[in-house]
Amino acid sequence: MFFELPFEIPYLLTLLLVVPLVGAMATLAMGGERQKYAKYTAGVFSGITMVLSMVLLFTPDLSVYNESHTWIETAGLRMSYILTVDGLSILMVFLTGLLVFLSTVFSAREKDKPHYFFALLLAMEVGLMGVYTAADYFLFYIMWEVTLIPMYFLISWFGGPRRHYAAIKFFIYTHVASLVMLIGIFAIVFGAASGGVADFSFEAVLAGSAVFGSTFQILVFGLLFFGFAVKMPIVPFHTWLPDAHVEAPTAGSVLLAGVMLKMGSYGIIRVCLEVLPEGAQYWQPIMIFIGILAMIYGAYACIAQKDLKKMVAFSSISHMGMVMISIACLSSIGIQFAIFQMFAHGLISAVLFMVCGMAGHSIGTREIPLLGGIAGKMPVFAAFMMFGFMASLGLPGLVGFWAEFGIIFSFYDYAVSVDMIWLIALCLLSLLLTAGYYLWAMQRTLFGRLTNKIDLSHIHDVSRPEAIALGVICALIALYGLWPDLALSYIDGYASSLAASLGVI
Amino acid sequence: MIFDSSIVTSVFGQFAPIAPMIVLIIGALVMPAVFFATKRRGAVTGVAMAVILISILFNVLMLADGYQGEYAGLFAYDAFSGVMILLFQAVIFLTALVSVSSSETTRMHYGAYNSLLLAAAVGMMFVATASDLITIFLGIELASITSYVLVAMKRSDPRAAEAAVKYVIIGGLSTALTLYGLSMLYGVAGTTNIADIAAALSTQGFSWAFGIAMITMIAGFGFKIAAVPFHAWAPDVYEGAATPVSMFLGTGSKKVGFVALFKIFLVIFVAANATASFATEEMQYIFAIIAAITMTVGNVVAISQTNIKRMLAYSSIAQAGYILIVMAVMTEYALASGMFHMFTHVFMKGGAFLVVGALITVGIGEKISDYRGLAKRAPFIAFAMTVFLFALAGIPPLAGFTSKLFLFSSAIYDNGVMTQWIWLAFIAILNSAISLYYYTRVVKAMYIEKGDTAERIRIPKTFAAAIAISFVFVIVLGVFPQLIMDFCADAASALFG
Repeated sequence: MFFELPFEIPYLLTLLLVVPLVGAMATLAMGGERQKYAKYTAGVFSGITMVLSMVLLFTPDLSVYNESHTWIETAGLRMSYILTVDGLSILMVFLTGLLVFLSTVFSAREKDKPHYFFALLLAMEVGLMGVYTAADYFLFYIMWEVTLIPMYFLISWFGGPRRHYAAIKFFIYTHVASLVMLIGIFAIVFGAASGGVADFSFEAVLAGSAVFGSTFQILVFGLLFFGFAVKMPIVPFHTWLPDAHVEAPTAGSVLLAGVMLKMGSYGIIRVCLEVLPEGAQYWQPIMIFIGILAMIYGAYACIAQKDLKKMVAFSSISHMGMVMISIACLSSIGIQFAIFQMFAHGLISAVLFMVCGMAGHSIGTREIPLLGGIAGKMPVFAAFMMFGFMASLGLPGLVGFWAEFGIIFSFYDYAVSVDMIWLIALCLLSLLLTAGYYLWAMQRTLFGRLTNKIDLSHIHDVSRPEAIALGVICALIALYGLWPDLALSYIDGYASSLAASLGVI
Repeated sequence: MIFDSSIVTSVFGQFAPIAPMIVLIIGALVMPAVFFATKRRGAVTGVAMAVILISILFNVLMLADGYQGEYAGLFAYDAFSGVMILLFQAVIFLTALVSVSSSETTRMHYGAYNSLLLAAAVGMMFVATASDLITIFLGIELASITSYVLVAMKRSDPRAAEAAVKYVIIGGLSTALTLYGLSMLYGVAGTTNIADIAAALSTQGFSWAFGIAMITMIAGFGFKIAAVPFHAWAPDVYEGAATPVSMFLGTGSKKVGFVALFKIFLVIFVAANATASFATEEMQYIFAIIAAITMTVGNVVAISQTNIKRMLAYSSIAQAGYILIVMAVMTEYALASGMFHMFTHVFMKGGAFLVVGALITVGIGEKISDYRGLAKRAPFIAFAMTVFLFALAGIPPLAGFTSKLFLFSSAIYDNGVMTQWIWLAFIAILNSAISLYYYTRVVKAMYIEKGDTAERIRIPKTFAAAIAISFVFVIVLGVFPQLIMDFCADAASALFG
């Protein structure tokens, strides 16, 4: 770490939950006459949260911020309020703080009921921060569900024409998945309990997990994996995602792709891998298969899309497939770069969805066939779009390159170890397709002859708040691309100790 | 010590175990006179509230102080009775509070209405304190007969008459079956005292007469708690009755059946199973199957309902299925969790019924489609309704989630061992997923669909107060369940001895 803060903030992790919660209430109060202040209120509170989340990045020993209090204690159960941050969650916490603040900035022009809009963003931040910091399954599940409801309302109040369908589909898919996950959580909590009281804390479950037999591990891994993987999402349970993205408002899409999908992969690493190592060994080939399927299917589907935003949504599926195969390698490098890719994709997808959102409201359409030659009319927009696309397809020097490089590297190891070197070809095929659909989409929208299919008289280039939000993320993409160790150094220790506990190096 | 029951014992002497009921009985008797003297509904409600609050005060003093006592071998007050009495008091408090401003009670004789309401509550509390089959039966009858009249009192609506007739006939059948079972049980055991029955049975083991007694009692109580296949009356009755009465039946009356089930079945089986070879496991399977069918049928049929009162009725049936898990698992922890769920159910389901009643009073219909655009017209009411419905569906961190978590976990795990009822917990969790669908439909109508008008709604103050109380409890009990759960644990250990 090149810089260390000389002070500690007491109850920092609780503040990460409380500040956005208070902010959501304060913003909600900015109705009626005070509507124009809603964005400033939200900006201040999400800004404070972002700064608090950045404090963690400069803290040498994260364990000073651990908090632990017993919450509910009955004859059979003990739930606690435990918050921790470690190498797995620190980047996700930072990403959440960053993206909520920047999507608030990006959406500064929101005119329709802004107090509801910004309050929902902050409410979602509470849940997201909670998921990434909770170290008790009860708290974790509550926070997991808390993220659902603001997202549901963001889509169904502020979304596109088919928003009701998309919102309810999103809600039902993910809620059913959460219930399956809950069954899995019950299984590990009660399975690990010794004596009379089932303790829901991560620590107690991990300590008791030594007694799990192989059959138990394999079955429960399946339940938990399903619950998490629908959120990621995996093919064939991915269909809620393109619908939700297409209908969601831009800020909603940014948070959905940037941080919410990561809840799935976070859960797989945190719960499935940590607690059920034998289950992970058993499911390894299936996870690899699912990951490759998602990568290739997602990329193929991208080629066929006419809607720019739907294309980006499918590209998310493809990129989360990479996270999946990287996790499934069950190696130190694989886990490290899976986490790095989660972070990288969080930044990149934010740019992509912001760009799509601007296409929607500045140009008036996101239909690729209707566009063409936009670069001449909107040079700044075109620059951001190119930057985002290039980052996403893994241009060296940007953050996506390192993530993909590491993933392919660890996957190569895996392919060699199982004697199926040709698997690498599938992986490379998806990279090829990715480069193909991005370049093709860029060619059709930005370059060539200026379109005459739509009215271009009133289109305007990027507005200042939008440019600020995009500029900051693009700068970070470049920064982490040139200096990946800034992020990797946090993950390294966690990944190698997890890999050691999985029995592989 | 803040909670001191000596004040109750010094005033009531040997009647102290039934002090909370005595207060209500006096209230029920003077109610018509108050109405006759003042002719004002407000005055009647004022007296009723005063009486109920005094009764709650007595009960809380006794419960918190750990008071135990018995009266004449017929009634015994312990932690279990105390918690259940508190539940019935909460129900009657909310019902009496809102009845005064409900448009559905305007044509009723208000003194008689309140008198019957209090009498019904007394009947329920009798069941909670009874230590003898006779008093259990008397309590059930007192609660039932007053309920029939309460349903029929909504004379403005022909559906109420139909509902009352159905209720009387089904109720009569249920009473007959219960009584038949009770008399068989007396024949087998030779006594009507529940503790003595348990002791007697533990020495003689299983007999066919005993089996028949159990089956007929399951059917009799099954009607009371509206368990499938004895549930068909509930939606009609809830739909036909005035909404405060529906709430009273859905949250209070139903629990009477559970209290009786707990008192008779749990005590007998748990006590007897320790010593003799007994058909406990068969009985547990019967209850497990009834529980699974009840929750599934309730939830699946609720999906197709368009009338919100009917939907809530089917959801009540489903909730009864969840509570029946207690009877399948038959552990102390399951009983505590089940009692806690009954408590949270009072505020979740009660709250939802209160919203429906308030909206009927201001002229909004009972159809789910009538709720379109409600979020714009009454944002706080719509938000409260959303919270109640999400709590019923089990969305964290609301009360319904926590109580379901306790209840379902009791079917998975008991004192260090996995139970054999994991499949039941699994079905219950799947049912929670189904239930979310129909609850969300109401939320969708309120928040997302456009209404015909955007005119603001103002609901009567007493309704607003009752909804606010329920709202606070749904959230507080979700986050701090131990406020009630600790009492439920005491209650369960009191019943299990």
